[in-house]
Amino acid sequence: MTKSQPTTSKKIINSFDEFFTLIPIKINKNISFHHHLRNGDYVLNMVLDFYLKEKVQDINLFPSAIFPKYTKILDLLRNNQINNITTNYLNGPVADYITNNGLKGTLKMQTHGGRARSILEGKNNIDIAYIAAPYTDNQGNAIGYKGLNKCGSLGYAIADSEQAKIVVLVTDHITNEIVKDPEIKAENVDYIIKVDSIGDNLGIVSGTTNITTNPIGVKIAKNTSTLLNELGLIKNGFSFQSGAGGASLRVTKDVKDIMLTNNIKASFFSGGITKYHVEMLEEGLVEKLYDVQCFDIEAIDSMAKNSHHHPISASIYANPANPNRVIKDLDIVILGATEIDYDFNVNVTTDSHQNLIGGSGGHSDTASEAKVTVIVSPLIKGRIPVIKKRVTTITTLGENVDCFVTERGIAINPKRTDLIKKLEHTSLKIISIEELAKLAYSYTGIPKETKTTTNQIGVIEDRTYNIIDKLYQK
Amino acid sequence: MSSRSYLFIPGNTPSMLQNLDVFDADTVIIDFEDSVVSFDKDAARILVRNFLEKFDFTTTEIYIRINDATSEFFTEDVASTKDLNITGYVLPKALPDHILKLNNLTDKLIIPIIETPMAVLRMEDIAKLPNISGLLLGAEDLTKDLNIRRTLEATEILYTRSKLVLVSSAYNIDSIDTPWVDKDNLDGLTEDTLNAKNLGFTSKCAIHPNHIEVINTAFTPNELEVLEAKRIVKKALESTKGAFSLDGKMVDLPIIEKAKKTIEKAKKYNLL
Repeated sequence: MTKSQPTTSKKIINSFDEFFTLIPIKINKNISFHHHLRNGDYVLNMVLDFYLKEKVQDINLFPSAIFPKYTKILDLLRNNQINNITTNYLNGPVADYITNNGLKGTLKMQTHGGRARSILEGKNNIDIAYIAAPYTDNQGNAIGYKGLNKCGSLGYAIADSEQAKIVVLVTDHITNEIVKDPEIKAENVDYIIKVDSIGDNLGIVSGTTNITTNPIGVKIAKNTSTLLNELGLIKNGFSFQSGAGGASLRVTKDVKDIMLTNNIKASFFSGGITKYHVEMLEEGLVEKLYDVQCFDIEAIDSMAKNSHHHPISASIYANPANPNRVIKDLDIVILGATEIDYDFNVNVTTDSHQNLIGGSGGHSDTASEAKVTVIVSPLIKGRIPVIKKRVTTITTLGENVDCFVTERGIAINPKRTDLIKKLEHTSLKIISIEELAKLAYSYTGIPKETKTTTNQIGVIEDRTYNIIDKLYQK
Repeated sequence: MSSRSYLFIPGNTPSMLQNLDVFDADTVIIDFEDSVVSFDKDAARILVRNFLEKFDFTTTEIYIRINDATSEFFTEDVASTKDLNITGYVLPKALPDHILKLNNLTDKLIIPIIETPMAVLRMEDIAKLPNISGLLLGAEDLTKDLNIRRTLEATEILYTRSKLVLVSSAYNIDSIDTPWVDKDNLDGLTEDTLNAKNLGFTSKCAIHPNHIEVINTAFTPNELEVLEAKRIVKKALESTKGAFSLDGKMVDLPIIEKAKKTIEKAKKYNLL
């Protein structure tokens, strides 16, 4: 792909108004954003306001994720200005709107690794990448872990910066010194737009990034760490990834306790990083953190000061076509589930009523590659069993899922005969997923299936480019 | 054999009832008293009845803490549950005549809560009544009545703790220590539980499921204790004398009996 050159030698631009006099807004309609500022991001709304006012039609959006405060997308949808959306995760009003109304075109749900691959291989053609950059020099070398609104890693934006026809840094901090080891390289940046504020980085913390004390979560975590220990996976040099949800973090804490007891040191933790992972790095329990997304301020600050805390791109993290991807060496991943079925397929994209509530993120990527993939969930959520005969939406294929841990027992995917054999003499309760489902049904009864419409609104594209499921209007 | 842990669960909370056997408590006490407000007592009775009629629990003993014998709810609490498959009742603010009143309504086991100064004074009278399976110390109410502050060291309840252990041991019933109320302070819980164990308690109750693991661990014999118990019993079987020496220490009948109990416990909790 040939990148267009700035029409002016001046890279730094004072306003979006000036920018759009240089770059015609109506012919660059494939636009991308990253979500590292999560619900505290101002840039997406700031940019889309221009598309709204200029009544740009047939926009194709490529945000790496969509959060509740990304309300200008909703306005564009209501004005019928958006054709397609390709993303990895969405929740909030935009998700609700698409659930109920669909799009003019299609909603394509990709994985983090799959998105990077699509961009780098030219399948996601992006005209303009608008990259919120907390700290940049005047050439466009940018990092995310410094600045007033530092957000840590800029990993999801790097593929965009390398392949978009026009790359625009949107920043509230330009330094006169050259930024060393930038995540976004100046050679890829066409324009820098200085704004008052790119966001509020307190919005990064989602509220779930604390270790759970919920007794069911505690029990699930204990079952999980015991399982990992009995499988002999917690050993010197092991690698580990857990999400930032309360139960996953509790597993991390319990794994830490086992490591301390047995004097074990891990090689790396990857994915989204929290203060708990940072603590373990600082305590010498893990050699390196490979961070594609910081989930709290402590993680961001660690990245700035600790040379063993590495920001990585989504491609280095999980692009299946990248031979150096981190997760090919991942031993254990702990993931959540909204639903799981008898074939171990997992749904984290919709609820059981087809409402869009999330997406893969790195779920399918890590499940596909980790040596042992563990799904953790309460057996019953509210009054609804988490196990179904067939999940409403497949986010992660069951062939990539090995263990399902609940408070009442653990199901091992029958194809993992090696794991089953290792657990022959365990004190843990190992039962089939069908038996676990029966246990849940004994409390809840068998929920009636909700009636699905046939009006397709989107697809689930795995990192392999295979379409593994479809999304339907509610 | 004694339970190690007794977990209180509110009787009006379906999500907790549904998971009562999940938390590894040896015994669960479904509560109709303090955790259920007065206008919800009937709802709790109906919920618990429906629940226990449908589900059997083989690995968890179940007691119900009814309202005290002087309350307006007492009679209906018993009447609505006495035919259920439960082990017994936990009786708050218990005194001897309250237990007689309960014994007149049911022949199920009873765990009186020792939580008033009078109950402390009359502990032995309580322990020797029929159907008593243990004594449970309610230190929060007791210290409130005595107008004294609870402390981490728990010296303010040392006398009551010691007396309860003595009386329970004399009447061969469970001695159940007061719950730890600082929910997230598991280090404090550990220290408090070990103190209770060292005083001779057989068990401890909990008001939060996350406390059960600490309690079970404290009241489960450790590897060394089991090993030593096995050696004592083995030597006793081989010896022709009533008393003998092992590792330079004298071993006689009470020590042999204690070792046998340790082995029984180890078997019960799958350590052997």
